[in-house]
Parts: sequence; C-alpha cells; structure tokens
Amino acid sequence: MATQTTPPSQSNVIGRSVARIDGPLKTTGTAQYAADFHFPNMAHAVPVQSTIASGRIEKLDAAAAQSMPGVLLVLHHGNMDKLYRVVPNDFSATTSEARPPFEDRTIYYWGQYVAVVVAETLEQATAAAAAVKVEYSQTPAKLSTNLGDYAGKRPSVSQRGDAEKAFAAAPIKVDQTYVTPAETHNPIEMHATVAAWEGDSVTLYETSQGVVNHRYAMAQVLGIPRENVTVVTRFLGSGFGGKLFPWPHSALAAVASRRLQRPVKLSVNRTMMFSNVGHRPLCEQRFQLGATTDGKLLSLRQDYINHTSLIDDIDEGCGEATTYLYSVPSLTVTRALAQRNVGTPSPMRGPGAVPGLFAMESAMDELAVALNMDPVELRLRNDATKDESNGQPFSSRHLKECIETGAAKFGWKQRTPAVGSMRRDGRVLGWGMAAASWGAYRFPCAATVALEVDGRVTVRCATQDVGTGTYTIFAQVLQEKTGLPFERIGVHLGDTSMPEGPMSGGSWATASVLPAVSSAADSVVKTLLQVANSTAGSPFAGVDPAKLQLTAGRVHQAGEPAETGVPFEKLIAMARLSRISADGNTTAIFEDPKAKGLSLHSFGAQFVEVEWEPQIARLRVSRVVTVIDGGRIINPKAAANQIKGAVVMGVGMGLLEQTVYDPRTGQPINGNMADYLMATCPDTPEIDVTFLDYPDLAMGEYGARGIGEIGLAGVAPAIASAVYHATGVRVRTLPVRIEDLLQSRIREA
Amino acid sequence: MQSFSYEKAQSVEQATGTTGKFIAGGTTLVDLMKLGVETPTQLVDVTALPLAQVETLPNGGLRIGAMVRNSDLAHHPAVGKDYAVLSEALLSGASPQLRNMATTGGNLLQRTRCPYFRDPSYSNCNKRNPGSGCAAIGGHNRMMAILGTSDACIATHPSDMCVALTALEATIQVEGPKGKRSIAIADFYKLPGTTPNVENALEPGELITYVDLPAPRKASKQVYLKLRDRASYEFALASAAVVAEVSGGHVRAVQIALGGVGTRPWRAHEAEAALTGKPATAAHFRAAAEDALKGAKPSSENGFKVELAKRCIVRAMTMASA
Amino acid sequence: MAEKPTLREDQQLLDLEPLGQIGSEASASGGQLTRRTFLSGLGAAGLVASAGPLSAAAAPMGQAEGAAGAHTVLTVNGEQHDLGMLDTRVTLLDALRERLYLTGTKKGCDHGQCGACTVHVDGRRVNSCLTLAVMVSGKEITTIEGLGVPGRLHPMQAAFVEHDGYQCGYCTSGQIMSAVALLKEPVGPSDHDVKEGMAGNICRCGAYPNIVAAFQQVRNHSTMNG
Repeated sequence: MATQTTPPSQSNVIGRSVARIDGPLKTTGTAQYAADFHFPNMAHAVPVQSTIASGRIEKLDAAAAQSMPGVLLVLHHGNMDKLYRVVPNDFSATTSEARPPFEDRTIYYWGQYVAVVVAETLEQATAAAAAVKVEYSQTPAKLSTNLGDYAGKRPSVSQRGDAEKAFAAAPIKVDQTYVTPAETHNPIEMHATVAAWEGDSVTLYETSQGVVNHRYAMAQVLGIPRENVTVVTRFLGSGFGGKLFPWPHSALAAVASRRLQRPVKLSVNRTMMFSNVGHRPLCEQRFQLGATTDGKLLSLRQDYINHTSLIDDIDEGCGEATTYLYSVPSLTVTRALAQRNVGTPSPMRGPGAVPGLFAMESAMDELAVALNMDPVELRLRNDATKDESNGQPFSSRHLKECIETGAAKFGWKQRTPAVGSMRRDGRVLGWGMAAASWGAYRFPCAATVALEVDGRVTVRCATQDVGTGTYTIFAQVLQEKTGLPFERIGVHLGDTSMPEGPMSGGSWATASVLPAVSSAADSVVKTLLQVANSTAGSPFAGVDPAKLQLTAGRVHQAGEPAETGVPFEKLIAMARLSRISADGNTTAIFEDPKAKGLSLHSFGAQFVEVEWEPQIARLRVSRVVTVIDGGRIINPKAAANQIKGAVVMGVGMGLLEQTVYDPRTGQPINGNMADYLMATCPDTPEIDVTFLDYPDLAMGEYGARGIGEIGLAGVAPAIASAVYHATGVRVRTLPVRIEDLLQSRIREA
Repeated sequence: MQSFSYEKAQSVEQATGTTGKFIAGGTTLVDLMKLGVETPTQLVDVTALPLAQVETLPNGGLRIGAMVRNSDLAHHPAVGKDYAVLSEALLSGASPQLRNMATTGGNLLQRTRCPYFRDPSYSNCNKRNPGSGCAAIGGHNRMMAILGTSDACIATHPSDMCVALTALEATIQVEGPKGKRSIAIADFYKLPGTTPNVENALEPGELITYVDLPAPRKASKQVYLKLRDRASYEFALASAAVVAEVSGGHVRAVQIALGGVGTRPWRAHEAEAALTGKPATAAHFRAAAEDALKGAKPSSENGFKVELAKRCIVRAMTMASA
Repeated sequence: MAEKPTLREDQQLLDLEPLGQIGSEASASGGQLTRRTFLSGLGAAGLVASAGPLSAAAAPMGQAEGAAGAHTVLTVNGEQHDLGMLDTRVTLLDALRERLYLTGTKKGCDHGQCGACTVHVDGRRVNSCLTLAVMVSGKEITTIEGLGVPGRLHPMQAAFVEHDGYQCGYCTSGQIMSAVALLKEPVGPSDHDVKEGMAGNICRCGAYPNIVAAFQQVRNHSTMNG
C-alpha cells in the first residue's frame, strides 16, 4: 500500500509528516467528546419522534410518561419555552432547520421531535419516551423519489455561449440523466448536547463543526445575549458537514436544563441520525455534452434538481465544479428544488461538487466511449487554461499533471478499452478514471499565541478539530516559529471563550487558521525581542531587537549559536511578566488583494480498478490511485489519511450507500448501521495517494488549500466507469448494485 | 426498554421451570428489547448452564452444546475438519465481536431483520400482532424473502449458521417442563403461512440444549457461499450451503440449503433431486438451480434474488465439485 | 472495593490545565455548576488532558426507583465496582459510561452494528452495547482505559499513533480493543485476513489502511520478539 508524499526534503516542520499531538489522548479513551461530559446531578433527555411524515399533532398524552419512575419533565408544543428563529441568510448565525423544535403542531417529516422526556437515568428517560402517546391527523406526504416530473422554474446558475444551439449542431452527443441518492453522514459519534446553566448563562458541550456559529445561533434561538452562551467542542467524532450548524436537539437540551436547573445530556440515537440531523439530498441531473469528432467539447448543459424539506430550501449546488473544470465555449447550468416530507438536508462532504462530478465525469466517460477515445485523452484535450465561467486565471491549477501522474502510477497505458477485455486470476478487471475539483476558501480567524513564563508556548482559537488534524497544524506552526518541541506547545481549541476561529467545513479550516497563528506567533516573538532589549538585567538590554532572534526557545544575537542565548522564559521572568501574548488575524480570501481576480480551486484525479466475478455478480474495488493538487500539504501523514479515508467513503458512495425512505410513511427505513451500508475494513482497496504539493501562495504564506472534500470527489464516477469497463453495464443511478451487475452480458471470466 | 427481573439459572431444570424468557448471548434479544419489539418482564440467564461443550457422539456425529459461542464453534477442530460448511457459515456471519457473544442455541432463534418487524410503530406486523397485516408487503422489500412467503409475511430468516445446519441435517435437542425431545431441523422452522408469529416448534418453557450433527459422510465436500453487497458484516442477499459427494464426474449425493432468500433456512430438495446421479457439469447445476427457485415469489424490489440465488447454487456446486 | 466512581488515575495525573486559569469546580451539592469548569485545552503529546468536571459526582447509582434491580459488581480493569441493585436494563456500555465515568468506551449505534463499544469480557472482545451489565457481574472486563495511558501506551495504542490509525478518534477505542483481541485470535498473516478480523469496527473516517498497518506492525514485532 504505497503512499508517496512530498516533499521529503523540507527540514522544517511545515510539510513534514508528524504524528498527531492528540494521538495519545485518542488512543487511550482520554479525549473528551460531547457526550463524555458529566456533571453532578445531571439528568438525561430522550426525544420522542413523529411516526408520520405529514400532518398535525391532535393530541399528545404525556401523563403516563410523566408518572413513570425517575421522570422529571416532559416537554412538547403545549408547554415549551418560547424559542426564536435566526435571521435568514445571516451566515454568522445559521441553524440547520429554520424552525425551532415544537414551534407548532405541524409534522413536516418522519422522525420530527414532538416531545422530549427528561429523567434521572438514561434507562428511565428511554422507557418513558416510549410511553408518550401521540395522536395525529395525517395529510398526504410528498415522498416520491422521482424528481423527473418537476415542472417548476429552473433558475440559471451559470451561462455562457449558446449551449442549446451548440448541442444541436454537435456531431457527437451525450444526453443522459444521473441520480445520486439521499445519503446520510453517519459520523460514528452521534450528535449530542450537554447543557448546563449558571444563572442566565448556559454552557453547551456540543458536537459542533463550528462552535462560534453555534454560539451565535443558539443565543438567537434561546433569545439571550451572545455573551451568555458558551459552546465547547474539545473533540469531535467527525461530522462530514452534518455538524456544521445547530440542530433542534441542542435547543431541547438547553431548555430542559434551564427548566430543571440541572445539567442535561441529550444524545441523539442512530435512528435520529437518519432523520433529524441532515443528509445529502437526492439529486437528479441531466447532462448534455456536445463535442467534435476529435473530442473537443462544444457545449455542456447541466440541469439539476435536488429534494429539500418543507421547512428549508437547501440547494445542493451540483454545478459547483461544472463551470470551470473543462474548456467549453457554450455552457448552461440550471438548478431546481423539489419539496419532500423529509428532514432538512445539509452539506455532506463535497456538497454539490461530489454529486455534480458523479454526473459530469460519468457523462465524460460516456462521451469517451461514444468517441472511441481514451478517457484520459479526452480530459487532457479539454483542459482549461483559465476559469471560463468568469475569465479569471487560476491561482494554481495542475489538473493535467494530476491526470498524467495518476495514469502513469496506475499503469493506465496497459488498459484495453473493450468491455470485459481485461482479466486476472479468473476475474474480470474494470479500469475507470475521473477528474476532481473543489473550491479553495479562507475565512476570518483570530488566534492568540502566548509565550508563557513556564517555558511553554500556547495558542488559543475557537475553531475545532473535526478529526482532520487541526490541533497538530497549530502545533506545527508554533514549532516552526519558536523552535520548541511539541512537548512544550499547548494548543487550545473548541471553546467560544477564545478568539473566534472558522468552521471546520468546506476544506477551509487549515487555510483559515494558518495566517492567524503565523502572524500571532511573529508578533509575539517580536515583542519578546523588544522585552529582551528593554528589560533591566537582560543580557540583551540595549541590543537592537532587529539583531536578536529566537531559536529553539532561546533568544540570542543573530549570527551567534542559539546556545549562547537565554531561554525566553528567563527573559519573561526578568521582566516580571506571566506571559507575552499577541493576537493574529486571518482575513477572508474575498478581501485579500493577493487573491483578487483569481479563481481558486483544488484539483485531483482518481483512477479505479474493480474486480468482477460475473458468475456470482460479485464486484469489489481493488485498487485506487489518487493524485491531489491541494496546494502545499502541511502534514502529509494526516493528509494522506484524509484522502485514503475519502476514497473509502467513495467506495461506499459508489457501491453501498443509499438512504431509503419508506414510500408510505417517509421513514428512513434502513436507518441503522446494519442496513445503511458503509464501507467496512474488508471493503478497503489498495490506495495510493500522491500530493503534487504546489504551494498556492494566493492562499497565504504557507500555500495550503485544504483537502477535506476533494478526496471523495471523482471516486464514484471512476468506479461507475470501471464498472462499465468490466461489465458493459452503465449505471447512472447510484449506488451500483448487484441487481445492476446481473444485467451484464458477460457471464464468465 | 421496559423493566424486567433477572435471574441466572444454575441448571437446565431450574431454567425450564421458570416462565421467564431465556437470554444467552443477547445479540438478538437485547437488540429487540431496545427497539421495543421484545418486552419480557422476566429474563432467565442460561449462560451458566453446563452446555458449552462440543463432543463426539457414539455414532460418530457431533454434539454441540447450546451455549457454545459461534466463534468457538467455528474454530473447533472437529468442526473445521468434518463440518467445514458450518465453520464457513459461522465465520461469514455478523462480526467477530458478535460471534464471541452469540450462542448456538441463541442463533437458532435469531429473529428476522425485516425493518417493519423491528419497528413497533408499524402496528401491522403479523409476527408481532397476529392478524394485523404485513407492512413489508408494499413497503421496502429488497431484503425480503422470495421462497416460503405467504400473504401474511415475507420476512427473511437471517441466519447463516442455520443454513449450514439445514444442509447438514442437524437435530435439535430440547428440554422442557414435559421432558426431553429431539426435533429434526427440517421440522424445527415453521413456514409463516397464516401464523407468522409461530416461528419454530418449541413449546413454552422448552430450552434448546444441544445440536447434534450426523456422522460426517466420507468424501463429502462442503461449501458455504454467501453473496452480499459489502465485503463483510452484512446479512446475505443469497447464500448456499452445499454438502456433496462427487466422484467420477457425477454427483453421488448432495444436500443444499439456501439462506437470504427464504422465510426459513431453505432446503433445496428439488435441486438435490435434479442433481443426484447426474454429471457434475455447469449445465446440470444450472438446471438444478432453476428447479430450486421454481417456487420463488419475488416482491417489487427483490426479483434479482431469484437469479442471484441460482448463480449462488451453481457456483457453490462448482466449488464442491472441484 | 471502590464504592464510588472516582477520577481515573490517568485523569488525575493529566489534570494539568495550563495557566491554572480555570479549575475543576463542579459543585457536588445542589447540582449546579458554580462556574465554568474548564477551558478546552490540549497540550502536546497528551500532556494536557481533561480532568473532566465529574469529580465525586453523586450520579444515579444502584437500583432505580420503580425498576427491577439486580446486585451487580463489575470488575473493570482489575478494579471492583459494586453498583448495588442496578437497574437490570443497564447495558455494560451505559454502566461504564454513565455510572463509572469510563467514557473511553464509545456509543456509536447501540445495536451491535458499529463496534465502537468493543470491550473485553474475560479476554474476549464483545459489543458492550448488547451486553446487559448484570450478566457480566463478576467477570473480568477490560476497557481502553485498562490498556495504557498517555505516556505509558500499550504497543497497539502506540502503533495507532505512529500509523495515524484514526482521524476523529471516536471509533478508535473500539478499534484498538478489537485489534488487541485479534492478536490472540486465529487470524491469517495477510492484510486481507486482518481486514476481515477487523470487520466489526466501522470507521467512518476510513482510516482502515492505517489501522491494518498498525495491527501488522504490532503483530510482527511481537512475533519477532517471540
């Protein structure tokens, strides 16, 4: 399982593979996740879910539940505290569902919370929740998984040239519709809130990918000042987008705790994970590609529609990567929404681009087949040299190199194009590939770095580590700037009492935090050198700070060895200080003159091999080569892990994952981890990850773009293309299933 | 979960003398209690009973104690040597952790994975509420059975172990308030018919004590083949247990059982009849597989299981003849 | 016999909140927090772990009012905990997490479908979510906290750190408990065999390649050492 990471030659810590600093905590069960918090006298809350998808609560009888042993409180529409909505489109305070819990008696989706029971123990609360009796009047639910009959408006997302005319005139055409199913994020850590009030203030121990937003949003929902809300997420059991914004259970826990004047823990269960905390929506996309006979794209049209809830309009944004990936003179992208009685969708790893690229790259593969052209050659022939959606140059685009490098590592030139033509050990092989892309973003961040009198350097920032290695990235910057070993570096994240940091989402956390930490560290070192100059008794008193430097924790004269210097903590002590601290800030990429007028994206290429046993319709992904152009890689060890993990998720997306709603009740009927299939360890192919590692200096000093989503982009279409190559079956509706494979005419290997 | 009393039985007699529900590995029962499907008021822990041995019978067969854990049984030398189909079936099921918990007796009583059975918010389930109807019919039915179904129930029997035991023609020893008796596995599982709530031949208070396997047939080749969506840790879409004697290019004797497709572990008698004495060729295997699935009644989403089960039989027979 | 759950030894050792800014100040009386308990902090190499504000919390113990109970004594990591007449409904997982505050064992599905709750009972790995606590009374239970602590890692824990055998870390306790058990189970030498042996532990982050590498390193190393 070869993994190549570059560059090996860097002597400093940025860009070097380092073990995560939180590894010892995570491997010993010491790291504290939201539901691990305990407080004296804590009570347990268990929500009650609607068993219909559309209608109204006519009667809710909590009497039996209320009288059960240990029950402290049953909250529902009839006795709920007043809750408020957040200001629409205020991106600093976003909730996942606009509607606060129990706002009215209407049922919008199966599983909606209709009550919450709080008891002394989890067992008591669970038993009592099952005893709450609810009578409903039902109204017809919109549950059709067919989005093709949509007749409403299709607003334009992007437009250039005349795609309709160019398509009509094109000698080679592909016109197909692709469907990606509803998928559920399913982090292994279920969402949870532990709420604890002290007077008028509440602390929420949360499963949050954005503690700052969570604080702002919950202050609005609860109708209390922002200062009265603290949100803590020390460790997060991943989220994949599902934990970006608060869900209704957070408010339920907060209200229950305020009512009882006791800490309350509410942990969502796995059933609720499928209905109440978001999902990637069902998407249907029609792609029309027109090309010349030698494979030059003439036109591209994408009409996508995704389902959304009755409460919220969530656009999946399937056009995310469509408009700039290839050079094509005429292009049209339109969007549409179809309301269904399902829970509100939410961004899931690579929202928009991942389903969008499944459709586009599948269509490109079909075009390659129609042209009788190698799919790699087709991509190279249509490579874009600028962002044709806005005419801007790319800050750093190496898609061509991704594809060429991947093809070489994969051995693509051995591929024979005929369906079912490649065999190994009694199995048919299928080889497929796809290009990938994801936007590069940077959001504001503040961080405080301090040199402490105890000889440590610390950093504080209200961002959080979703599992990507953010803690370690902070430590790497501090080591780079101070020369201190990790043992003397303290990183403090996940608490809104600290300077405000970014959400962990959209692959922007790393790019957003780096400038803030870096500049804070630079400032603090500068101040330290001034203190060395101005402190009585300092060996450097009166020495021009510009002639001093900090190396390996010692202040010394430039040009002299570090050993001749003085440990910084001694200087801090001499100056009678507890610490020297400084703040640093990151500006949003949109406000950065260096990035102005540039199109910022990451790119990648995925090459997939499937092994196919036609006699029994057994298909497994056996090998994946992935090449990523994600700017500079700060910690290749964690980064390669991210990409491999995304490929594993891609195997699930390609072959396994689909949230199935019962056609009558709207219940996610496979809403558990035995029936909603995610890749297991034995589903893991051999994965080879390469980073091109070109710094994108428009992103900042370190040139990092972020790699959280791009590893997933392109995997599913590469699988579907490999499936076609092996079996002759073109699967346009994910996941590829045994029932599809049984259609293959190839029966022997 | 509703409250229940708990006691640990120290003898079979003590266990069968209670009115409580037996619990051993708990992998099915605790799961269903959490879902509110099982609501016992009294649990009798039978894990301390002296039924955890695997021993050879005087007739050369094997006696498996009801408390033998799946993982121990799978790795037992006698099972590996003479009953490979059972070992393979066990190791294809669930996960290593669950196999460490699940017992032989408990696995015989594994309940269906039908999502409508598993969710009491669907009042219409003839297994849970006799006469109430079947929510699975007309619902999501990709995983449902295609053999042995009725208008009252299409729930699939989920076990792998029981499929192998069916092919091996195991005998189930039980002990109850009225004494001991033996039940051939063919008679143990009931078709749903109009009473899907009656799943097996056990009388109230009866406890499974042993599973007896007949003496291994010489020269028999055994295969368990399981087909599913993901590589592991998933229930079968279709599986086949084959115990075959093939010599001189002919099938001399064969027992075939199917999993993932029937409302009970499915003995494929028609396929056996079609194969016995016939040349061991792909064409004959396919013809036998056609016979095995003749009675299949798929639902709207699981028609593929018919073809998949056929291919499963053909491949398993091919492996057993190799 | 420990009558009340207390801080784990490693938690006490690791209570090194930097700056001494905020202490662990949960008041055991009245059930209200006197003030914010602590800031989030993470020191390098696990120097700064959370003490957690649980201290001598008087959590619900013993027989729940109105529910059937059974005398339950759990021997966890060599230490006996008398839980009195414990509500029979309490699973081993919830007993560990909510009664003994051993929160290293995680709940991922509560139905035996993910493996996050894996612990050892009498040396065998099981799903603690499907195990009734009363049924393992008197048996030897080992949790992730019993393997090693930061600074004194079990070889498997160290291998997971070295090979980055996790991302978010949430399934990691279960993965490690499974991997340690697998060392003693019959398992073939190939990566394929190891993958099948680890099939009962879902990692949504997909760190499987690194988990397999960690396992192989530990196994090969211990083989070399006889």
